[in-house]
Parts: sequence; C-alpha cells; structure tokens
Amino acid sequence: MPKNAKSNGKTVFLGMSGGVDSSLSAVLLKKQGYNVVGVYMKNWSKDLPGMKCPWAEDLADAKRVAVKLGIDFRVFDFETEYKQKVVDYMLDEFKKGNTPNPDIMCNQEIKFKLFYEVAMEQGADFIATGHYARTGVDTAGVPALLRAKDENKDQTYFLYRISDEALSKTIFPIGDMLKPEVKELAAKKGLDNAYKKESMGVCFVGEVGIKDFLKEYVDIEPGEIRDIDTNKQLGVHEGAIFYTVGQRHGLNIGGGLPYYVVKKDISNNIVYVSRNLNNAQLWTKELILKDVFIRGSEAGKQLANSNKAKIMVRIRHRAPLIQATITDYNKDTQEVKVIFLTEIKHPASGQSVVFYQGDECLGGGIIA
Amino acid sequence: MIYLDHAAATPVSKKALAKMLPYFSDEFFNPSSPYLPAAHLRQNYEFAKGQIAHTIGAKGNDIVITAGATESINLAFTAAEGLSGNILILETEHPSVRATARALVENSAKGGKSPLELREIKVDKTGLIDLDDLRQKIDENTIFISVSLANNELGTIQPLAEISEIIEKERSHRLELVKDKKPTSVLPIILHSDASQALNLVDISVARLGVDLLTINAAKVGGPKGVGALYVGRGIKLNPIIVGGGQEAGLRSGTENVPGVMGFAVAAEETKEHLAGNRKKYEKFAQILKNKLQESPIEPLFLGNKKHQLANFVPVCFPGIDAERIIYKLEEKQVYLSTGAACAANKGAKSHVLTAIGLTDSEIAGSLRISLGVLNTEENVKKAGELIVQAVSEEFARVSGDQAQKQESKNA
Repeated sequence: MPKNAKSNGKTVFLGMSGGVDSSLSAVLLKKQGYNVVGVYMKNWSKDLPGMKCPWAEDLADAKRVAVKLGIDFRVFDFETEYKQKVVDYMLDEFKKGNTPNPDIMCNQEIKFKLFYEVAMEQGADFIATGHYARTGVDTAGVPALLRAKDENKDQTYFLYRISDEALSKTIFPIGDMLKPEVKELAAKKGLDNAYKKESMGVCFVGEVGIKDFLKEYVDIEPGEIRDIDTNKQLGVHEGAIFYTVGQRHGLNIGGGLPYYVVKKDISNNIVYVSRNLNNAQLWTKELILKDVFIRGSEAGKQLANSNKAKIMVRIRHRAPLIQATITDYNKDTQEVKVIFLTEIKHPASGQSVVFYQGDECLGGGIIA
Repeated sequence: MIYLDHAAATPVSKKALAKMLPYFSDEFFNPSSPYLPAAHLRQNYEFAKGQIAHTIGAKGNDIVITAGATESINLAFTAAEGLSGNILILETEHPSVRATARALVENSAKGGKSPLELREIKVDKTGLIDLDDLRQKIDENTIFISVSLANNELGTIQPLAEISEIIEKERSHRLELVKDKKPTSVLPIILHSDASQALNLVDISVARLGVDLLTINAAKVGGPKGVGALYVGRGIKLNPIIVGGGQEAGLRSGTENVPGVMGFAVAAEETKEHLAGNRKKYEKFAQILKNKLQESPIEPLFLGNKKHQLANFVPVCFPGIDAERIIYKLEEKQVYLSTGAACAANKGAKSHVLTAIGLTDSEIAGSLRISLGVLNTEENVKKAGELIVQAVSEEFARVSGDQAQKQESKNA
C-alpha cells in the first residue's frame, strides 16, 4: 500500500453511515495511505408507527462499502447515550416550547465526543467524518473549524460546539470538494451501487417527521389557536409544542391570507397567530444567546475577549451569512447579545446562531 | 449469477408460470360467480387444491389455502385458542412459529382464564430434537406442539413420526386416566409441523408423520410468493383469522388466489416428481461444495445433522471470519448466499438457532447458510466453492495481517 508522508500508515476511525459522503471519505482516506477503520454508530434502532427504522439497512450499506474497500469495520453501540444526551434533550426542549437542533447536540455529545473517545481508546490516531467542513491550525497550534468549499453544503452550523480537542484530531476528507464532485467520484469508484441515499436531517426521525416522533414521547393535548390582535379563537391545534414562531403552514384554519405563528403560550397550550406579517413579534433586531460556546482558536479568543465585535452570523443551516455585532459577552452566564444590521424574522428559541469570521467558524450560541 | 439461497426464495418454474398466466387475464372470473365459466374455474381451482394436497398425502378438502406459510402457522395455532394448558415448540423454530406462539400465550392471559404456558424443547448440537426433553416437558396439560419438519437455518430434519408416537402415548395416557369416570371431554393434544423448507426434498405423508396440522409454502418449491396451505386433520377445530365471504370452508375468506394456486399445484407436482432425483443431485453438489470449502485456510465447520439433513443445505461456519463480509465480497461477483434466515439476518439479530446448537458468538458471526436448488449446476457449484474459498482466504489474510501489524507496532 502506498503511503504518503502525512498519513504514514496512521489509523483513522471513520464514521460511516452508508451514505455517499462517508463512503467516498473512506476511499479518499485509504488512498492517502491511512489505515482506515469504518465505524457505524448505532444511535437509534427503534421503529415508530408506520416507519421502520432503517438502521439495519444503513449498517449493511456502510459495511458493504467497507468490505468493498477491504477496510476494517466496527459497530459502536451508542443507543443508551444517544437517548440520554440527544433525544431526552430534544424532548425537554420541545416541552419547554423551544425548537431544539438535535444534530448540533449529536455532534457535540456523540460523534465528536463519545465516538472520538472510544476511537482513541481503540487505537485511533485520528477520527474522520463525511461532514462538509474543513480544518486549519492557528499560529499557536489550536485547530480552527473552517467552512466547506461547497458553500451550499457547508455543515459548520452543526459543528460549532464540538470540542477543540476532538477537532484537532479530526479529518473531514470531503471538505475540499463540491457535492457534485463527490457524487461523480463515488460513481467512478463504483460506489454508486453500494450506498443507497444520503442521510438527511434529524438522523433517527428520518421520514417520519418530528411531529410523529414527538407524539410517541410527549403527552400532547389539543389547544386553542387565537388571533393575537383580537384574542379571538380561530381554531384548534394538536399541541402547542408542534408549532414554531414564524411558521406559516399547518394551522388548518382555512382560507384567505396566510396566518403566522407569532407566540406560543406553552403553559396554557395556546398558539397565537397573526395575518400581519409585520407583527412585531415576528421580527427582531437583536437576540440573546445562551450556552454560548466560543472556539479556542486565536480568532475565537479575540472574539471572547472583545467587548463588541462585528462578525458574520448564520441563523440557520444554509442560511446566508449576515452581518451582526456581538456584545455583552458574559463568560459566567455564557450569554451574549447579537445585534443585527436590520430586522430579521425572529428565529425560534432553541435554534442556534453561529459566528463566523472569513472562513472560520468561531462558535455560537442558542437562542434564549 | 450463482444463487445459493434457495431456502430464502426460489424462482417460479417455467411450467408453473405458464400455467398461471391465463388465470390473470382470460380466466379471470371469480370462482364463486354463478355462470358457467366461473363454475369451470371453480372446478380447476378445486382440482389444483387436490394436486397440492396429494403431494402431502392428503385430499383437497383437507387443506386450506392461505397467503403463505406465516399465515398457515398463525391459523394452525388458533387450534389452541381458548384452551388452558401448555404449548411446546422447538427452540429452533422459525420466527413465524415463535412469534405466533408468544402472541397466543400473551392473549390467553387477557381472557381472565389461567394463561397458556410456552415451553421450548431443546435440540442437540446438530439441531435435532432432544426427545428426552420432549418426554419431560409434555404432560397432561399439553395441548399443542409445533415442530418444524426441517429447520430453516440448518436443514436438520426432525423425526416427526417418533414425536407423534410420544404424543400418541400421552393421548392414551389421558384416556387411561379418565377411564370409568365418564368424562365429558378429554384435553386434546395437537401436533403441527412447519414443512415449508422440506416439501421439495422430503417425501411427505401427513399420515406417516402423524401430524394434525402441516404448513407448506409455494415460494420455496418453485411456486409463486404469497401462496401457502395448511393441512387440517379431521376433527381439528380452527378459528378463522380472516372472516368474510366464507371461502375455504369458512377458514380463510377472500376471493381465491386462483393463479397462485394453479402455480403452486404445478410446482408441488414437479417437486414431488423429481424428489428422489433432486435429492441425489443436491447430495452430490453439496459434497462437491464441501470438498471445495475444505481448501480454505480455515477449517470449515459444517453445521447440522449429517444423517438427517435436507440434501440441499450446506450450513457452514468459518470460525474467526466475519460471514457478512464474505457475503458482501461475493455479491460483487454475483454469488448470493446468506447468514441465517434472511428475515433474521437483516434485523442484525443473533441467530437463535445457532445459539441453540451451542455455537459461540464468534462462530455465529462466521456462519453462512448455503442452500442449493434449481438454479445450481455442478459447474456453478464448483465455481461458487472456489469463490467462497477465495473470499475466506482474503478475509483470513486481512484479519491475520491486522494482527501481525498490531503485534509489530506493539513491539516497536
């Protein structure tokens, strides 16, 4: 096996999902001379009503690719931890009326913590995943999380909370590629039959949709839909936790101009809506973030130590980068204020605002 | 393609397919309709049912057509509904038997009566029933026993006649007990056998086997999927699972699957006709394959019972090898085989059959199920043997290479 100087036969544990991104990552790492160990993380296997959990098929796809490439393959069973750290967190947040992002939690707690730790225990020099992201190193040797070459696919929004320690040992083999290139190269390598589809969104919820998932785990009562301006009842909803501020669809109150969710009263299970897109509740110029996580790179430290910093932020995966000012960072409460240049549509609480400077992701926080 | 998984599915035979085709279009009538063409169809249907029944030594009226073996098994177990006592099944039964038995036991607990009890009969290291264990577990409260004629992972053929003798003894015993006491009824004891895997290699006669209920399946013998039958002995009372228009003597409502039954009849007859020849042929092929597999760098462990095994079954274990990797390697060369049962394998569950015969986890992980059949020739079996040996050798080299490397880095 040809080995280049950088890899020098070092061992990489690669998270393999059975999808095209991680499958091609295996090919690339192997080509670079790494000793690649494919790992399927078994995080969720429970079937939901009307939806068979595809974990066994995903596992088979991942293993098939590993066998095709002649690499070692293991299964790490993280079901217990995933339920505790990701699913329970998600359910708690929904119960509070927030809209959590389980993928961010999954990366923080499972893929770049548990997987990293177990891989290291089992002899890994590095871990790798098929995420669209890149890494760099600052002058002090601290790793930097960089946006992917494919701006459309960049997944740093989901990765902003992963530890510097794990990042320093992480390889993102396809971060320098565009998605069409990944697909094309995978096909060229004969992998197009080996994998089925790309894993998307909340990994375990799959096609079921978050609503059906929540119904299984949370007691939900129907409640009133009220017009925020008149306080008149307009209809009935299935449960306030299903609704997100700013949401336009799914109100089932028929006809005319669309309604928007402007407020949720979780304790009384009331959803307030408005036809007025200009309703003040729908817009904001600033946000308070909690659980702020700032990366330890030089640029991150600078941000943490500054009173006021003009940076770029992203308020959703794949949303455009927009200018904002970060102020009042309180290291003790881990809170920070974000002020936007112009009003933005109010993002849901529980979602993240992620900080960028140039290509680098500096961290972010969760909307309070 | 070299197909080595006939225990999972078989292609519909040319003759069976040709027989079926007109019944999808020209002969599309509902056999229950009142006009003459429909009446003719009814005759053809009943005749075909008779052909199916004859292959197991029964008459057309003794069988109920179902949508496959799983439904037949579910229907068979209704014989124990509403009764109290215990049910015995072999510990290596197919999930369709295990799950049905468990569901029956669970439901019996809801009725307020004393619930049914499920007992599993042990097998030996070859998968053969432990008759002493059966003698020990059968008692005056046993009402239902289910033992497959041949196991779906090992091909081990169970001595049904001996089993029914033991049951007959228990029956006499019960009659003895109530003698002179003018009982109103004696607790029945019913024997069911799932013969899905055995129909094409074992000369089945329900009378000789001494079974009260027997499940067969078209899809394993060159018939279409979704058609099965249940033989129901005289005096056995079942509760229909599917009710409606009262077809199949009220035991299985729904318009008859005429093309399916036509295909099943042809396939069953073909199978019966070639039984002896096929057995010899597959014995020879199996031997060729086994000889070839001996050339592996790891000595293969052939599973099942050499004396009492379906001739087309070659279950084999390569200890220390990951059988799934062998399967994925071979699929690239269009050689298709499986670990355990197809349905269990894709759930990632450990085979309960291989556990029952005492294999270690690593032996289970190294086990392949090869089942020969109509798509095999001497040449393709030889070729398959070579390719399996090659794949095992590659895996062996990879695993031992890894170990050598680890050793190397430890020493360094």
